Amino acid sequence: MMSDFATTVVRNVDLGRGSFLIEFEDPGIGPTMRPAQFFMIGVPGGDVLLRRPFSVCGLPGTFDDATPGTLQVLYRVYGRATSLLSSLRRGARLDVLGPLGCGFEAPDAGAQILLVAGGIGSAPFPAFLKELSRAGRKASMIYGARSAAELPLLDWFGAHAERVTVTTDDGSAGAKGLVTAPLSERLARGGPLHVYACGPNPMLKAVARLAVEAEVRCDLSLEAPMACGFGVCLGCVVPVKGPQGEKRFERVCVEGPVMPASRMAW
Amino acid sequence: MTPDLSVEVGTVRLKNPVLTASGTFGYGLEFQPFLELAELGGLVTKGLSPRPRRGNPPERIVETPAGMLNAIGLQNVGVDAFLRDKLPKLRAFDTAVVANVFGETEAEYVEVCEKLDGAAGVAAIELNLSCPNTECGGMIFGNDAASLGAITRACRRATKLPMWVKLSPNVTDIRETARAAEAEGADAVTLVNTFVGMVVDVERRRPVLANVSGGLSGPAIRPLAVWMTWQVRGAVKIPIVGMGGIMTARDALEFLLAGATAVQTGTVNFVTPSSAVTVARDLSAWLSKRGIGSVREIVGTLDAGRAS
Repeated sequence: MMSDFATTVVRNVDLGRGSFLIEFEDPGIGPTMRPAQFFMIGVPGGDVLLRRPFSVCGLPGTFDDATPGTLQVLYRVYGRATSLLSSLRRGARLDVLGPLGCGFEAPDAGAQILLVAGGIGSAPFPAFLKELSRAGRKASMIYGARSAAELPLLDWFGAHAERVTVTTDDGSAGAKGLVTAPLSERLARGGPLHVYACGPNPMLKAVARLAVEAEVRCDLSLEAPMACGFGVCLGCVVPVKGPQGEKRFERVCVEGPVMPASRMAW
Repeated sequence: MTPDLSVEVGTVRLKNPVLTASGTFGYGLEFQPFLELAELGGLVTKGLSPRPRRGNPPERIVETPAGMLNAIGLQNVGVDAFLRDKLPKLRAFDTAVVANVFGETEAEYVEVCEKLDGAAGVAAIELNLSCPNTECGGMIFGNDAASLGAITRACRRATKLPMWVKLSPNVTDIRETARAAEAEGADAVTLVNTFVGMVVDVERRRPVLANVSGGLSGPAIRPLAVWMTWQVRGAVKIPIVGMGGIMTARDALEFLLAGATAVQTGTVNFVTPSSAVTVARDLSAWLSKRGIGSVREIVGTLDAGRAS
C-alpha cells in the first residue's frame, strides 16, 4: 500500500566515485514491494523543492550485510538533490513516498534471463537477482558504463549473477564499447530469452530495438523527470503504442516504470 | 474554541478556505491514499476539454529555483469521461468539486460548460483562459481583457453554475482582466495561473522542455501572486481565490490578508500529497492561538499603511 512516511537514515555508504548506497528504516513496506518499484525521496529542510524518484535496490534479504529492518537505495551524485542526499548521516530524517509503480514481472518459464544495466541503472537488479535466485532461476548480466568508475556494486553482481559481461565506453573495464555488442552476440545465438534492461534512455532505445528485431521478450525499467510519482503531475510520460497502434502517452510512474520494449513508440 | 473556517465564494459555501489547484490534484481520487477528501474546502479538477487530449511530448517538467516549470499540454480525459467515470465517485465525498474548463475556441468552452451545467456534484466552474486560441493565431485567451470578456460572456450564458475565472499573470495589468471578468458575470476570480518561463540546457543549447516554454509555479512566484491578489482586491468587488506557491498556512494567510476569500494549493500537492489538509489544520491553529473566531474576520484586513 502506497504511503508517505518519514523515516530515518541508518547508513549512507560511500561506494566511491560518486555512488552511494543509502539505507533507511523500513516502516513495513519491504515485504510487499517488488523489484523495480520505486520511491520518491525528499530531504526535509533542503533547498530542493521536488522529491526525486529512486528505484528500490535492496529489499529484505537482498544484501547479507544489510541492517535488519531497512531498505536500500543505490544512487549516484548527479545534481543538487543527490548531493544533498549524500550529505545525510545516521539519524537524519528522510521523506519517502512509496512503493510506487509496477515492478518487474516474473521471467518466462524456461527462458534464459539476461539483465542489461547501464551505470546507475543497475539499481533495481540486486533485489531482482535475489528474488530470481530464491525462485531457483539464474540470470546473466551485461553491465556497461562510460568508465570503470561508474559500475557500482560490480563485485556484488559478480558474486550473484551467473556471469557478468562488462563494457565501458573508454575501455577502462571490460570490453571497450557499448552493451549492445555483447547483447547482439547473445541474441544471435538464439534460444528462449527474457531480457530486463535499465539505464539511460539512449541505451534503452538501442536495447529495445535489438530485442524487438530478434523477437525476444524485453522489459525496460524507465526513468523520467517527475514531480509527484503517483500519477497526477503527468510530467513523466513516454510515447507508447496504443491498442490500435496509435501513439499515446503513458506515465512512467503509474503504468511503468517497467514497460515492454515492444510497446515503446520512441 | 475551534475557529469557524467556513467561507463563501459567492454562493459557493466551503467548509474551509483551502482548495487544491487544477492540474496538481488529478481528479481528486488519486489523493485518497494520502488525505480525507472531505477535509478539503474543495478541489479543482484537471482542466477539462470537449474531447480527450494527449498533451505535449516529453520533456514536460523541470525543477527551477524554488519552483518548477511545466508544459503538460492540458492532457486530460475529456469532459464526457469526467462526467461518466470520475464525478460519480467524487459525489461520495463531502467537499466542493470545482470543474476546471478550457477549449481551443469559444465554442469549445461553451460546449464543456453546457455539459457540466446541471451535473449533480459540480459546485462551480473555473475557466482556464491560459490556453491558445486556435482561431486567433494562438493568442492566449486570458492575456487580453477583450477576449477574456468575450469567453466569460459566452460561458455565462451556457451555464447557471457559479463561474470562477482564472486569471493569467502574464499581462500588463491584471486589474484590467479582473474587471473584464467581473463585468461579464464571473462570480469570482482565481489568481494566479503560472508565469511563462523557459529553462535552457546549456550543453545541448536547447530548451529543456519540448514545448520550449512552460508555466512557472511554486514558492518562487508567491510574492508576485500575493501582490497581484492585493492589486485585484482594490479593483473588483467579487471574491478572489488566491494561489501561487502556497506551501504552509502562513503562506495561505498572506493571500487571505491581501484579500483572498479562499486559496488553492498547487505545486505542494506533488511534494507532500497531504499538504492541503495540513494547511487547513494549521490555519485553524493559527486563528485559535490568536483568539480569532472565524477566518472571515481576517480576509482583506491587510494594513498597507502609507503604501496604500
